[in-house]
Formats: sequence, C-alpha cells, structure tokens
Amino acid sequence: MDLLRALLFNRATLSLAALAVAVGLWNVYVAAHDDGLLAGRVVGPDGRPVAGAKVTLLQQILVGYERIESTTTDGRGAFRFTRHNQHKPVLLAEKDGVGASARTPVRLYFRNQNRVLAQPLRLDRN
Amino acid sequence: MQRVPRWSIHLALVVICFFMLIPFYWVLKTSVAGENIFAYPPSLVPKDPHPFYFIDVWYDIPFARFFLNSVVVVTIVIVLNLVFNAMAGYALTRDFAGKKAILFVLLSCMMIPFQATIIPAYLITAKMGLLNTYLGLALPEVSHIICILVFKANFEAVPKSLVEAARIDGVPEWKIVYKIMLPLSKPAIATNIVFSFVWTWNHFLWPLIIISDQDMQTLPLGLSYFLSYFEDTTGALYAFCVMVLAPTVFVFLMVQRQFIQGLTSGSTKG
Repeated sequence: MDLLRALLFNRATLSLAALAVAVGLWNVYVAAHDDGLLAGRVVGPDGRPVAGAKVTLLQQILVGYERIESTTTDGRGAFRFTRHNQHKPVLLAEKDGVGASARTPVRLYFRNQNRVLAQPLRLDRN
Repeated sequence: MQRVPRWSIHLALVVICFFMLIPFYWVLKTSVAGENIFAYPPSLVPKDPHPFYFIDVWYDIPFARFFLNSVVVVTIVIVLNLVFNAMAGYALTRDFAGKKAILFVLLSCMMIPFQATIIPAYLITAKMGLLNTYLGLALPEVSHIICILVFKANFEAVPKSLVEAARIDGVPEWKIVYKIMLPLSKPAIATNIVFSFVWTWNHFLWPLIIISDQDMQTLPLGLSYFLSYFEDTTGALYAFCVMVLAPTVFVFLMVQRQFIQGLTSGSTKG
C-alpha cells in the first residue's frame, strides 16, 4: 500500500498526470473544432462586398505556393471552405476588372481549425 | 573565523543563475518571436509572441514520430542501463582475483572516444541484423562506465553488515542487489536515469550511421531533416530546440536532488 502511494503521489507521476490531463483536454477541444471551416468576406477597394470573386486556398511550399482549391464569393461577398486540412493556409482573392488581394496567410492553432476571418480580403491590387 | 552572511551567498548564486539562464531565455524568446539572432540592437522582450512556430514544427515534419522513436530508444536504454550497471557495480564491490585489472581496463576504456569504436560497433550491429531497429539504436548505450562507477560508489556506502546478514539468511546475490542494494541507492538510480537519458536523447552520430529509414529517425536526426525542409528557420528552429530540450529539463527537474546526491556520494569520507 505504501509502495503504491509512493508510486502514485510523487512529483514525477503527478506532473506527468497533469500533463496528460492538459493534453487530453486540448485534444477534446481540437476534436470539437476541427471541421476545417474557413470563412470570410471579400471587399473591393471602396470597402463594399464583391460578389463573384474567386478565392483560392493556397499552401506554402519550399519553392512558392501550391493551389489546394478555389471557391467563389456569394452576393454578400462571403466565401467558405470546408475541410481545408491546413494549419497555415494562404488565401488569395481576385476578380477581373476589380483587382486582387495580397496573399494572406491565416495562422491556425491546429490543422483543420474552424476560423471565420475577422478582416475581409481587400481587392486593391491591379 | 568570520562566517560569510547567507544572503550574500544567495545573492551571488542568483546573479550567476541569471547569467547561466540567459541562453535558455534567448532560445525560448526566439522560439515565440522568431526575431533574427543577429538583429541589432537585440531586444530582451519578445515582440508579438505567438506559438505558431511550435505548430509549424509539429505539422511540417513528422515530429511525433521522431519523438516516439526517441522515447522508445531512451526507455530501452534506461532499463538496460539500470540492470547492467547495477549488476556490474555490485560485482565490483566484491573481492575477486583481477578486480583491479578490470577496474583499470574500465577506466582506460573511458578515454577511448565513441567515434573511434564506431566502425566495429556498426559491423557488430549489422551482423546481428539490428540496423534500422530500436534495439540497434540502443545497443551502444546500454551500459556506461561512469554509471557503473556511480553504482559501485553507492553500493560501497551500504553497510557491509546488511549484506552479510542477508547472506547468512540465505538470500541469493541477485536478490541482495534487487531487495537491499537498489532501494538504498536511489541517488545512483537517478544519476543513471539522467545520464543515460541525456546521452541517448542527444545522440546524433550513431543514429545517423545505422538508420536509413526515415520512420526510425530520432529527434537529433529530425533536426537535420528539419534544417533541409524549412526555408526561414530562425523561429521554427528554436521552437524545435525547445521541444527537444523540454523532456530533458523535465527529467532533470524530477530527479535533480537524487542526481546531485548520486554524483557526490563517495566523494567525502565519514
């Protein structure tokens, strides 16, 4: 009994247990938020929503960027990707006659994290 | 003789600790800020700290796999070190013909660097069919002469009357080591754990030579893989270093008191 108590209640075991609990909680959080939803808006140089803009999801590789998939904004300038499977996706929006946005990296805390962008992608480069 | 006030000793220790911890702080700071190490003037406080370099390391290279490999190898090494070193240390506390010669050979072998024996070690491992295996990675580390001597010093500090009483009661030798010597030698065990952990965890050359399968690479090899993978390495490299260093610091903090006792036991008489 004393041996069991000594094995269970010592610094190393308690520290590892605390670490295991923290990792477990983090994984529960990740499992609840990893649908891969990435949503945002595209606006023009005047700040008004741009419908029909092409938004491309890119992945940074050693020699540049690789296209993952593309979507088009709706009437309110909103776009949405599902199952992006990235932890640092890069977004690029463009529309003929209006311009293109800068490549915008989105930093996520884990792969496939759900994220709605607070700032819209602005088409201001021609 | 006038005693030095305790506060002045503590003050001096705090100052020394401060300077010794600066490199660790610098690594930690760069891992969360990614500032160029050559930036001038250097900033003491990280600007816009974030955890994303750690996330990049976790996902961009198979860090979890490298980590698992290192943990498996270190576990094998620690267990075998405790068994072999305790047995060898106990044997060296007994009197037998040629004991001094064996001690002389052991001490002499400490002067031979590992690099000098790496070719025969590789050939032996290859003949045993252990290339690209965990056991092959662990093989050269399963016993350390320093650790044998640490066990020997600890065992010699155990009163001989205890061992003799056990022998009179008919306790076999292996049980004397397991039931009497080891429970009384926690500092030596802690020292063995720390030494074998740190040496194996940081070993680069041996895994580099015997591992060709990427899935079997350990963390130090992962570091070289990592350097070839990342373009902008400063922040991610330091994050990688922190992730590799953290288990070592954890193990040391857990057993530091016993570790220091283990190193100093036998250093004083009486």
